[in-house]
Amino acid sequence: MAKQATSPIAKTARLLDLVPFIATHQGIAIKDLAREFAVTTEELLDDLNTLWMCGLPGYTPLELIDLYFESGYVSIRNAEILQKVRLLTKEELVVIAIGLDFLKETLSKDREDLSLAIGSLQGKIKSLIGDIAQVTPTVDSSHRAIILRSLKERRNLEIEYHSLIRDQITTRAITPLELGEDRGVEVLMAYCRTAKGFRTFRLDNVKKADLLDSSEVISNSKKESEELFRAKCRVDARLRTTFERFRLDTDIATSPGLSSSKGITVEVTSFSQDWLVRNFMSTLANTEITEPAELAKTVGAKAQATLELYKNPHFSS
Amino acid sequence: MSRKTERLVNLTIALLATKRYITKSEIFRTVDGYEGTAESKERMFERDKDDLRNLGIEIEVGSFDPLFEDEAGYRIKPDRYQFQLGEVTSQEISLLSLAAEAWRGAALDGSALTALRKLHAIGIESDIESVPDLAPHANIRDKNLQIAIGAITSRQKITFKYLSEELAEQDRKIAPYAVTSRFGHWYLYGMDLEKLGIRSFRIDRISGDISPEGKTGSFEVENNFDLASLSSNVDEVSKAVIYLRAGRAIALRSRSVSSSTKSDVAGWDKVELSFRDKERFIEELLWYGDDAIVISPKDVRDEIVKRLELGVKRYG
Repeated sequence: MAKQATSPIAKTARLLDLVPFIATHQGIAIKDLAREFAVTTEELLDDLNTLWMCGLPGYTPLELIDLYFESGYVSIRNAEILQKVRLLTKEELVVIAIGLDFLKETLSKDREDLSLAIGSLQGKIKSLIGDIAQVTPTVDSSHRAIILRSLKERRNLEIEYHSLIRDQITTRAITPLELGEDRGVEVLMAYCRTAKGFRTFRLDNVKKADLLDSSEVISNSKKESEELFRAKCRVDARLRTTFERFRLDTDIATSPGLSSSKGITVEVTSFSQDWLVRNFMSTLANTEITEPAELAKTVGAKAQATLELYKNPHFSS
Repeated sequence: MSRKTERLVNLTIALLATKRYITKSEIFRTVDGYEGTAESKERMFERDKDDLRNLGIEIEVGSFDPLFEDEAGYRIKPDRYQFQLGEVTSQEISLLSLAAEAWRGAALDGSALTALRKLHAIGIESDIESVPDLAPHANIRDKNLQIAIGAITSRQKITFKYLSEELAEQDRKIAPYAVTSRFGHWYLYGMDLEKLGIRSFRIDRISGDISPEGKTGSFEVENNFDLASLSSNVDEVSKAVIYLRAGRAIALRSRSVSSSTKSDVAGWDKVELSFRDKERFIEELLWYGDDAIVISPKDVRDEIVKRLELGVKRYG
């Protein structure tokens, strides 16, 4: 989590939260308390020292908050006024509401009890902040949990994976290496035992994940280099959609020198030739491949084959 | 220095403890930390009130005492200070914590952390056994999401630059209403103050930072705004009939609405499915090349044939 800013305001918030926390965890180790509040032990001790100076007007020992330290453990007394857990801010409520949506969407059918519990919590939150967020996750939270476990326990996985590029669902045994992100898409880097090579899997295309008992140690450092395919093309309409499709940085469209009245010429890259062919098929109306010639030819042949089917009387409208 | 922190905590305690409204002069006299000239105390107090409000602590202003008619009194109502979700079970604590955990390493993780602290401070152990092994994750780091949510909850108008389909930056000014996430993208909904209608914006298409404009609480959400219906019915639904090569076009096939896929052509299935955005649907069908042949609607079929002819002419 992000490091907390130590502005007086953030510090105040922390002090107000420390009181009820210590009150429900009397005799907690300073170390654990610092970890819970994501601060160093020094910062925490400074917090506690400040708290010691606080209390009800009058500020006699009777009115001040009392802290007891005993060999690295802390307890609190005389803090009834601040002992109530603070209310959740609106932003905290939104954060939780969205998180609950993520959970609800991936519960299995047999957990209606949890679904009801989540619904009732969401109802309470909505009555406080209104209906201001609604999310549908693309990744199944239970799949992510299994992947995280496999990484932690260094166990292999069996996944059912839907490759959109190959238009296939396959079952593969993999050794997960790390979770990452590729342009906003969560991905799992893994060694695929089925394909005998390193592969990147989109989490939203994992249809099933099961832990295997086997485990392997794979060095992640020397990833064999896959061949990168490059192509140049001119984009002359639907720029934003096409840039997003080819995962191009939109900044390059606004940089000078690239743009001309006949559209923008860009270089697109992929580890999959098939992905390029399919994307150029999709964008026949607004992209034109300038190189390489073989790629243009492949797309042309694909267009020809498809057109023939459209002319086939079996498929006439 | 922690003098300011000390004063803020002491002010909170004093205002929480009082059963009646207490006046500013009482506060200056009794609460530790207000020093200097009358004017500087005044300034200090105004800032402190704002700072506490930013922490979600509401200071109520009022006066019951006829003797102090012209002097306002202040207090913090305990029920506006404390955790507002009421009694929670250990299972609910697990669910709430898990929900906040979804933001670890994502935008809003600061709020997630403070929410978790409060949940833990309740002192009810979460009942992990009662919840299946789930790892939700909000896959967004864009800080514009946080700015947008801050503006939504505080009813503050915002301006930003939005990338058009031609990749031009357009200035937008909206009253932000809600955020959604669908198909892996985050959207912001609001009243477009120039176009005077509800519009949605993909957050990753916002160029640069969102800027809040003007005061908080400066608009009301339109009565007829309904997030649930807006996010599901953007365009009208159309029906299409398509031949799919057996075993191919898996993603399209999974959207089929027809009960049978039987067809009169060997090696091919016939499916019916619905689509919303015509252009996007055409591009999706072309992705599958000679594995998907659309029969109807006719305009979709004609457009695809036209594009294929162009492709053959260009690349053939």
